[in-house]
Amino acid sequence: MSQSINQRSRKTLACTSEATAFQKAFGKELKRRVVDEQEPYAIVQADTPHEIFHAMDIPIITNQWWSAYISAKQLSGRYFDAMVQKGFPANSCKYCSLGLACTLANEPETAPWGGLPTPTVLVARLTCDCIQHVFGLWAKELDSEFYPMEAPAWEHKEEDWYAHAKDAWDRVYQPDRIEQMVTEMEDLIALLEERTGRKFDPARLERLMERINEQEGYIWEAAQAIGEARPCPVSIAEQMPNTMIPQWHRGSDWAVAHAKKFRDEVFDRIEKGLGASSNERLRLMWIGAGVWHDPGFYQALEEKLGAVFVWSMYMPFAGPAYIRDLKGKPMEALASRVASMNETLHLPPWMNGWMTSEAERCGIDAAVILLPPDNRLSQSGTNLTALSLEEAGVPVLRIDADMVDADKWDHDRMVAMVEDFLHEKGLA
Amino acid sequence: MIAIAGPNLPIPLLAATGRFAGALKFDPDRETPRADAWLESKFAPWAPPLLEAWAHGEYNDLDEVLFSRADDTSQRLYYYICELQRRGQIGGPEPLILDVCKIPRQASLERTITKLKELAERLGVGAASLQEAIDSSNRQGEQARSQTEAPVCLLAGTAPPDLRLHKVIENCGYAAAGSTLEQGWLEAGDAIDAGEADPFAALGRHLHASTRGPRSFADAREALTHSIAASAAQAVVLWRIEEDEAQCWQLPAERETLEAAGIPSLILTRRDWHARDGAPEEIANFLKKVQT
Repeated sequence: MSQSINQRSRKTLACTSEATAFQKAFGKELKRRVVDEQEPYAIVQADTPHEIFHAMDIPIITNQWWSAYISAKQLSGRYFDAMVQKGFPANSCKYCSLGLACTLANEPETAPWGGLPTPTVLVARLTCDCIQHVFGLWAKELDSEFYPMEAPAWEHKEEDWYAHAKDAWDRVYQPDRIEQMVTEMEDLIALLEERTGRKFDPARLERLMERINEQEGYIWEAAQAIGEARPCPVSIAEQMPNTMIPQWHRGSDWAVAHAKKFRDEVFDRIEKGLGASSNERLRLMWIGAGVWHDPGFYQALEEKLGAVFVWSMYMPFAGPAYIRDLKGKPMEALASRVASMNETLHLPPWMNGWMTSEAERCGIDAAVILLPPDNRLSQSGTNLTALSLEEAGVPVLRIDADMVDADKWDHDRMVAMVEDFLHEKGLA
Repeated sequence: MIAIAGPNLPIPLLAATGRFAGALKFDPDRETPRADAWLESKFAPWAPPLLEAWAHGEYNDLDEVLFSRADDTSQRLYYYICELQRRGQIGGPEPLILDVCKIPRQASLERTITKLKELAERLGVGAASLQEAIDSSNRQGEQARSQTEAPVCLLAGTAPPDLRLHKVIENCGYAAAGSTLEQGWLEAGDAIDAGEADPFAALGRHLHASTRGPRSFADAREALTHSIAASAAQAVVLWRIEEDEAQCWQLPAERETLEAAGIPSLILTRRDWHARDGAPEEIANFLKKVQT
């Protein structure tokens, strides 16, 4: 892995450091509740109805967050090795299984928080073939219960779903799929009430959903402004934490206030004509997980070529994926949000339809697509999205996911690859 | 005509249409340049040759192809084919999907039955003709349980593309038990409850509870023990391919089951679906050692 002076990204917003500081403090608070106070808690996938738990004041540990926490402590290799020693094949899917690997390793002396106590329940939506096995094994190891949720087939296909997700969600997401998820959420609520003694209050969920609409509305306003502004006022390295960290805490007073603060900072920079780069000539789109171990990669060609990454999915997804007119049916509105997270990001026609539209909205000159790593069929849709973008006149550079593996990362080589691509397409 | 491309599909219901063409045929060893431009690398290896054949118009004699939501490759391929047709890049039959739910919960069972009824209505299959097809399927299942003189070797794990590994086993003097991909898609499994008043409910219950397919909630130990007993196997080859990201999680449980059963076994993981990686030789060597 080559080092570079560009590896650190510039931070221009005050709210970015506030978000990361909040998340750090949240980790401590979560540990206090789950480990020290032994409160009932749940382990959940990112695409499950967190709102139910928030409305019942039940702490949750999101699998993806916990995995990142373990990785940040440089423990993933150790625990995956332990999993292989337990007889699991080395090609087993890594994306969702690091938490299980940590539990299987059974090393309180190395595990974050000394390892997780027994949760009330583990919840996952079955968007791939392996997650039910991972969570089933994990529940067994933790002496808990796995509550799987269906990911029903979606036969009603609207290519421009994003334009109707807010007000016509009951049609867009297919009524019987919504009904199925509502039934499952009601069963989950009954289970949680029985196991934790905490009561679900529908009015509290409705208030939470309204607050989430407000929060994601601020993010969406900022996303729209960023799409129109020249130059782009905020780098994708700052768009991401200011969207995602409040999203983990969606509907809370802090999250709503932070989203508003972020929007206001974005508006302020646009009004002052400030750009993430002082030399914006090419607007680039990044499709795929972020290269967070080298955020400076995104800014490496700004000075030389004026090439600025202005779009990644996290921020603009907030609008169509989260905002819902409640129509007096908060459970159904929530079901429509949860029922299609993986589908809209990883299946045609939703993924390519949305991203092509976003490229047009944001004046994108070229896109860089991260092809999914070999262990994730659930990250499909990239090839058809690349073809859709190219048909729409947006040149696409495809990067193999192995190349962005932190252990194999070569900053200079990757920057050169993007530079060569832009030259080849006559953009630079 | 209607064909299938995936597991856990309602074979008796399709048979009752009178126009069931079986599983889609494809050459697993063909080159797949067009499909490779559309599919990502982690699709199960049967998807590229199938999509390649589709793109070349080799299924144009069919009216419909039914995919299964109980298998991630099958269900994602359904969306891809819908999209490629919408964009005019391929033609061919109309893709359909059956929303087979496998979670052992009442809501999932009810949805499976509802979706089965919707499919039956679309295909024009009534309760009486479905009941007749279920009875016929059960009778065929009874007759299919053949006896063999040769010792049996169970080929468990990933379903191979054809009989290439079965032939290796048979050449060693064993009868090979275990399904190919196509056989697995077409087999009805255990008998369907013919006593239930509503044949749609009976078939839906059967699909929902079936132990086949990557999304089954069946206990891996029990499933393997059942397969060993049902085939009267005297040796087991547990063969899993590199792309198998679901059932490979059961490997430790399966290993324990094989050890507990005390049956000679060969475990091959992360293997090539085309068996071009020496697996045939390893299986032959294993069975020769067992014989001695």
